Amino acid sequence: MATTQRQIDLLTGNEAVSAAVKQIRPDVIAVYPITPSTHIAEMLAQAVDAGELDSEFVKVESEHSAMATCIGAVAAGGRAFTATASQGLLYMAENIFWAGYGRLPMVAAVVNRALAPGWSIWVDHQDTMAMRDAGWGQFYVKNNQEAYDTVIQAYKIAEDHNVYFPFMVALDGFVLSHTASPVEFLTQEEVEEFVPPFNPLFRLHPSEPMSFGAISKPDEYIAMREDLMKSMERAKKVIQDVNIEFAKKFGRDWGGLIEVVGPEDAEIGIVTMSTLAEEAEVAAEQLTKEGMSTSVTRIRSFRPFPGEELAKQISKYDIAIVIDRAISFGNAGQIYIETNSALRDYDVDTKLIGTVMGIGGQDIAYGDIIERVKNLTKKA
Amino acid sequence: MVKLKELIEIEATYVGNMKGNLACAGCGLNLALRHALAALDQHALLVVPACCTSVIQGFGEGYGINAPVFNSAFAASPAVASGFARVYKKKDPSVQVVVWAGDGGTADIGLATLSGAAERDEDIIYVMYNNEAYQNTGDQKSGATPPGAVTTTSSGEKRPSKSVSRLMITHGVKYVATANTAYPLDLYDKMKRAYEEFRGHFRFIEIYAPCPAGWNVDPRYTAKVGKLAVETGYWPLYEAVDGKITLSRQGRRFLDPEKRKSLEDWLALQGRFKKIKPEFLEALRQDIDHSWEFVKKHMAE
Ligand SMILES: Cc1ncc(C[n+]2csc(CCOP(=O)(O)OP(=O)(O)O)c2C)c(N)n1
Ligand code: SF4
Repeated sequence: MATTQRQIDLLTGNEAVSAAVKQIRPDVIAVYPITPSTHIAEMLAQAVDAGELDSEFVKVESEHSAMATCIGAVAAGGRAFTATASQGLLYMAENIFWAGYGRLPMVAAVVNRALAPGWSIWVDHQDTMAMRDAGWGQFYVKNNQEAYDTVIQAYKIAEDHNVYFPFMVALDGFVLSHTASPVEFLTQEEVEEFVPPFNPLFRLHPSEPMSFGAISKPDEYIAMREDLMKSMERAKKVIQDVNIEFAKKFGRDWGGLIEVVGPEDAEIGIVTMSTLAEEAEVAAEQLTKEGMSTSVTRIRSFRPFPGEELAKQISKYDIAIVIDRAISFGNAGQIYIETNSALRDYDVDTKLIGTVMGIGGQDIAYGDIIERVKNLTKKA
Repeated sequence: MVKLKELIEIEATYVGNMKGNLACAGCGLNLALRHALAALDQHALLVVPACCTSVIQGFGEGYGINAPVFNSAFAASPAVASGFARVYKKKDPSVQVVVWAGDGGTADIGLATLSGAAERDEDIIYVMYNNEAYQNTGDQKSGATPPGAVTTTSSGEKRPSKSVSRLMITHGVKYVATANTAYPLDLYDKMKRAYEEFRGHFRFIEIYAPCPAGWNVDPRYTAKVGKLAVETGYWPLYEAVDGKITLSRQGRRFLDPEKRKSLEDWLALQGRFKKIKPEFLEALRQDIDHSWEFVKKHMAE
């Protein structure tokens, strides 16, 4: 593999996502424009118009219909893609659950953006957090290269018969979507070899009349939801395996479920996601230099939630600070709530402190994180 | 036109909706489904939003419809159907994707979705069976409820009902037709024509489907009530190709108001119009006039 000449381009996050989608070649792409994800729709529509991409591009009249169209496409045995953000994701919500509970594997790129009112086009994670119980996998990426790689991985994982549910790839609005950085491509052959053609477990067809989603009695209903829960469990291994295979073949390791960056014996842990994690890496380096040995534990897969892996990692710290970019009003940040529960499940007694940073697009630099960590550890 | 004997034979060989499904006695929608599926020659794939059809198909195992059914979210069917149609266009063009939806799902919550699919000219047959209210949830007023009809959320209103057929004609839909469960031969022919002649386009068929349970009609009179809807001039039967209306052979004569039967006699069969006030009756008459004016204006030369 070392001899393969791979193209490297300066790409924004949106460009990285659409580059990956072009190589994945979905049967159906259905997108409705919304800032900051619109560029993805434009680039894919143009590629279809120009004949570079042999997908059906459906110019739907709403996000609700974008997701509905993807649902129909997958139930017909096709591969589907959509992209959205913020209000668009909420407008899709009914069908997001339909795809998740209906076990229709597909990939949606969600460019994280704050929710109105108080119009804000900038990043926070309230939109995807609102969808965390929809039966979708959720990856949160830290840079454009990971966005590209993860869209490709997500198809492979979602379509795996041991997994078989849809995935969101979440990338921070503007910070990634509109900011260019170098992205190395896989060749078309590599993508096709890595992600084999979609082999649907079922599809609706007149040759075998059956009903999808008919009235279900409680026992049948429970069986379907238990199956989803088990598939989420199984997906953890698949996500790790796919990450390892990808790293071996293409040289990039994103950690699978979680990624730890910093000294092995760090006493302080920063637990967070997305671009805040990359910023936290710089903060941790600085703090370590100053004598506060710190590492970053980045949650890459929020669904399925890597409770065991997190608990194991956090058990090595004396104290861990969880930084959320969203809030469950009336309680706390979602990452904090879930991490806290994982620590109990695995009898870890590391001190855990939750904090919220960067909502509504508030700019967070590593200096802000250093200051927050110092303040919180002082109090603790 | 298909002969009665032929239709009986066709429906004996292929039963679209099986015996023992969960429809109420005398259900018009159930009849509509039977005739429509027969016309589609076992190529139909149904996308069904929340409505009575999601109930009458029954539970998953041994269920009551002999065609694949995708049950979709209430407002989502035309878009779900678009996804199916786009994939089968390439993978198996023999599949005919059909949306099978009620008036509420069509005229109200799903209107934008319908409009989008129509505008994109998706390769779909959209059937709106019109039982003139939200029947699944127990007869609440929909946009297609006629003036004067009592529902559980209205004691009769003056507003004209929303005609989605007319809306589809002005949307530039290739083929639009109205049908009625009391005219099975006409219904069958229109489904067949939509399927065979206008493949590749968006097609819209609105079927008048009396609902004895919601309308407070004796189940014996489903066909009678349906027939009178045409004979009173309330339900014009027509086809529109590229916006040009042709009246159907059955029912054509009711273009002439002189030939129409008594509106009051027809209303008397339906509990929902029992105590209709004169002002509502007047509104209903105006609604009928308005729909014929539209028909005349758009009639092919
Ligand atoms: C988003 C949403 N809102 C409300 C409902 C509840 N609901 C289910 S069926 C129905 C009425 C359907 O009426 P119509 O489309 O006229 O079909 P019919 O039941 O008369 O056959 C309603 C309101 C729903 N399923 N989904
Ligand atoms: S409520 Fe009306 S439309 Fe629904 S199944 Fe009963 S008769 Fe048919």
